[in-house]
Amino acid sequence: MTGIRPPGGRDDAPSAPGTPPGEPSAPGDDGARGGANRWDDGGAVAVADGDDGAAAGAGEDADAAAGRAAHRPARKVTWQKLVFTPAVLVVALVATYLWITHIHLDAIEHNSLDNGNVQLRLWQHIRLTAISTFWVLVIAIPLGIALTRRRLRPVAPAFTALANIGQATPAIGLLALLVIWLGIGARTAIIGIVAYAVLPVLSNTVAGLRAIDPTMVEAARGIGMSPPGVLTRVELPLAVPLILAGVRTALVLNVGTATLATFGGGGGLGDLITSGIVNQRMPVLILGSILTVALALFVDWLASIAEALLRPRGLGADT
Amino acid sequence: MGFWQFLSTRHQQLLVDAYQHASAVFQCMVIATVIGVLIAVLTYRTEWAGNLAVTTTAAILTVPSLALIGLLIPILGLGVPPTVTALVLYGLLPIVRNAIVGLRGVDASLVEAARGIGMSRTARLLRVELPLAWPPILTGIRVSTQMLMGIAAIAAYASGPGLGNEIFTGIASLGSANALNEVLAGTLGIIVLALAFDAGYVLIGRLTIPRGIRG
Repeated sequence: MTGIRPPGGRDDAPSAPGTPPGEPSAPGDDGARGGANRWDDGGAVAVADGDDGAAAGAGEDADAAAGRAAHRPARKVTWQKLVFTPAVLVVALVATYLWITHIHLDAIEHNSLDNGNVQLRLWQHIRLTAISTFWVLVIAIPLGIALTRRRLRPVAPAFTALANIGQATPAIGLLALLVIWLGIGARTAIIGIVAYAVLPVLSNTVAGLRAIDPTMVEAARGIGMSPPGVLTRVELPLAVPLILAGVRTALVLNVGTATLATFGGGGGLGDLITSGIVNQRMPVLILGSILTVALALFVDWLASIAEALLRPRGLGADT
Repeated sequence: MGFWQFLSTRHQQLLVDAYQHASAVFQCMVIATVIGVLIAVLTYRTEWAGNLAVTTTAAILTVPSLALIGLLIPILGLGVPPTVTALVLYGLLPIVRNAIVGLRGVDASLVEAARGIGMSRTARLLRVELPLAWPPILTGIRVSTQMLMGIAAIAAYASGPGLGNEIFTGIASLGSANALNEVLAGTLGIIVLALAFDAGYVLIGRLTIPRGIRG
């Protein structure tokens, strides 16, 4: 299977165009470099949701502004990049707020939206995302480092095979199986979200470490650095861009998977969406969807800023 | 009821669901490929237009699938229309991006040579550039297909077709004797379909990638 691909999330496998046809590039050098590129061009400002019906008007401006912003180099933190996504999100959210407070809501809709229910679901969603992202990183990054050490290298192909099957597994099926096994609740939801995101972030980390120029590692060894020294002072700093890309992948993926937590009794914004569908109450459905979209784009924006700021300085132009 | 017994008593329903799942994903992939390659062909020669296409499709992919389907329901209703729209939208990014990268990566001297022997713009595109860009496009199609397999399962919640229905029936009847069987059948079915499609694409690659650029 191709490079690094978190299923269902925003990422896609970068196909290194030089890859021999018919031969899927393993998460190796090609995939890794493609991955880095991918984050660069994807890192430009996201075009926000002009399609949210309710918040009409924001749409046209968004497209025009995106046109202006898109051809800027995404690498640097430009003020457009800093301002654009939040501005669009604020406009969309204010429009949604005005709309939802000015239409007539019936009893069922009031029931779904009053008494701080919306705030509660939003907060649950943020919590699910934050906790699961934390665990994904704690599991995937050390494991990725371990898998690239010489002693464990023979095990790596097995993990690649596992990752391939993992990518083919639907998130909702995985979550449903966990619910049957562990019972409903936020804990099960978090385990499901983590299980779903670990493999993509793991392959990102492995690819990042493998893509490091072997001559650099050789040189570090040559000047007498110990293996831990080589790892912490050469390999990890060089892999930071790809690890940060992994963090971003995990965050965006987890915001999405967290919408499914509602099927396991884990709460979150998915609750508003599903109750809107089940009760056929469009305002509830639309509000839940818009909040989820806004949260996803906001988290992605936040991660892209972090990515640009935390990149080691020496790795400027073409990493 | 054991899992095998479940499979043998329900195999008809399961096969129908699997067929619908595969056919929904396949048809959406055909639409997404056509639209995606078209977008790439229209934008790859201009720097900003290509970047805009990639950025826009990337933003779509950031949107959680349940939320996108939720936004489509008020417009398109339940069932097939929101499912197809969502699947096509999600399928675009890998194809658009890989097609743009592939088309931009075509050696300029080859295009120049094609022009030199008198090929028209269309002929150059169809007979030189697209065949050379086909391997990355095919990779994009594979990536999209795998992704759509999982998203199609979620679309079943909006009354979409396919194996997702088995999973949601299982979730709705948690604790009943068949909940586990239903969820397991739906999930494993999707994994099998995804792997089968992937094998199919390897075969398509063998058959369609011009011999001259095969690795």
